[in-house]
Parts: sequence; structure tokens; C-alpha cells
Amino acid sequence: MRKLKTGILLLLSTACIFYSCSNGSSEKTEAASTTSTARKPAPDFTLKDSNGAQVKLSDYRGKVVLLNFWATWCGPCKIEIPWFIDFQQQYKDKGFEVLGVAMDDDGWTSVKPYIAERKVNYRVLLGDDSVATLFGGIDSLPTTFVIDRSGAIDKVHVGLIGKDDYLKEIQGLLAENKATHNRQPYRTMPALFAVGSTR
Amino acid sequence: MAQLGESVAKVAPPETLALKRGSTATQNLRVTLRSGFHVNSDKPKDEFLIPLKLTWTGPLQVQKVVYPKPEEVKVGNDMLNVLTGSFEIQTHFLAPAQATAGVSLMEGKLHYQACDNQSCKRPATLSVQLPVSIQ
Repeated sequence: MRKLKTGILLLLSTACIFYSCSNGSSEKTEAASTTSTARKPAPDFTLKDSNGAQVKLSDYRGKVVLLNFWATWCGPCKIEIPWFIDFQQQYKDKGFEVLGVAMDDDGWTSVKPYIAERKVNYRVLLGDDSVATLFGGIDSLPTTFVIDRSGAIDKVHVGLIGKDDYLKEIQGLLAENKATHNRQPYRTMPALFAVGSTR
Repeated sequence: MAQLGESVAKVAPPETLALKRGSTATQNLRVTLRSGFHVNSDKPKDEFLIPLKLTWTGPLQVQKVVYPKPEEVKVGNDMLNVLTGSFEIQTHFLAPAQATAGVSLMEGKLHYQACDNQSCKRPATLSVQLPVSIQ
């Protein structure tokens, strides 16, 4: 009987310690970004870039990716593009890439002159309805997905947000353990840990 | 490309337009935008922006389409010509002398692209039916 009581107490205390640790960790990370355990894999796709090359999103696994759906006719998108040019320049060598997905109906006719005029230094792909559907329809532009090194979506931004908000998210994801993401992409977290990280 | 969700623009169903063969008539199409949104005018300042455009097909000839005067708003560093709230687009029709008398329909297409301060909706087209009575 005494052994049973001791066993229960030990189990409870272990669970409490684990719960409080993971709960505390969750609160800390939630202030800046969604926790790793809450992330879902980004849907993979293949689209062509302005040179006609086929580009797969999964080719970028191992890098932090800012996937930006935009269009030449979108005013708020135009505001963000210079920020993304800066990010690409600043973090390209640190494992970061911006990928633009243009949703213009007339395709490269509008997009090529636009990106040439603005000296866009990151890869731009031509989007279509099927890719938009994969990402929830993309009803509004800009819509931007911030993706971690494992290919999981950390943040989704619909509409214009601040440059600094993006910067914090990019820096946060770049600081995460690269080895962990490469070793266990799309992993499922144990149930007990998931309870601790519930919002 | 398809647009999801509720339409940003709505048009009031037009009343029957009556006119005699060989004569002209004017129709005002009332367009109302969802609160907080604007659409580009028929002549946006930036070449990449999508203009408001009303087109008609049917038994009447379109002489001209008159769009409302836009307002200027600043988005980022750019000044844009936009329309907000509720406005009217005026179409001047001519019934050809050889038109068949009777009741028929003019089919209208209103192509627009709407934004609010933070984001833009993808371009959309609204269909309008204008009943016409040619005497």
C-alpha cells in the first residue's frame, strides 16, 4: 500500500513538474511567436520562376522562408516589397529566403516588368488557383507565411503588418536549433507536452 | 482568378429602361462598396492598378460610360484615385433605328479591384441585367 502511495505521489509530482515546465516555456515563446509544437507543415507545391525554372517549396527545407503571396495591382504589397528586398540581402547567407508568389491574372506580362523596375532580389514565382487553394484560398493580398527550417508554418499574416514584426519573426526562427529541425521534420509531439503548450 | 468570400461591391438591380428606336437614354447604375473598402477609379494613376470598368452587351449601343469623379487617397508613398462608399456609373445608350421592338436585356459586367488600408481583394466581376423596352 505504502509503495502504491509513493508511486502515485512520484507520478503526480513528475507530471506537475513537466506540466509547469512546458507551460512556462509555452508562455514565454507565445509572446513572440507560435510555439514549435503548434506548427503545421506547409503544403508543398511546384511553380515556375521568371526564368522558367521549376521551384518546389520543399527544396527550401533547412531554411527559414518568408512565402509572400502578392500582386502588381496590390498597394499594400508594394509597401512590403522593399522590406523583403532588405531581408533577403541581410539574411540570405544565414539560412533565409524570401519567395514571392505573384497572383496576377495576366501572368509574367505584368510581373516581369514590375520586379525588374523594383530590382527585386528574391525569387518570384507565378501563382495559380490550385496553389492558392492549398494555402486556404488567399482571398486577400498580401498574405504571407513565415515558415521554419523544417517546412512548418510558424505565422500567417493576412494584410500589411510592420517591418519590425517580420524582422522579429525571422530572427526568432533563424535562432532556433537548426539541427533539431533537420533531424525531425513534421514530428508529432507527445500528448503530455501538447497539453502543456495549449494556449 | 476566383474570388472567395462575400463580394465587396454590390449593384442595385436597375429598373427597366424604356426608349424609342433611334433615340438615346441614360441609365445610372448604383454601386455600393463594403465599408472600409475602396476600388480603383476608371483611370488609376499607376499603370499596374486595375481600373473600374463597366461593359455592356445586348440590343442597345453604348455611346459612352461616365464614371464618377474619384477621390485621392495616399497609400504608402503613392497617391491613388479611388472610389468609396456608394456611387453611380452612368451609361448613355442608343437604340438603333433597326432594333427589334419589345422587351429584352442588356447584360452588364462590372470589373473592379478593391482594397482596404491593409490588404487587397483579388479582381472581381459583377454581372448586371438591365431590362430594356424598345418601342
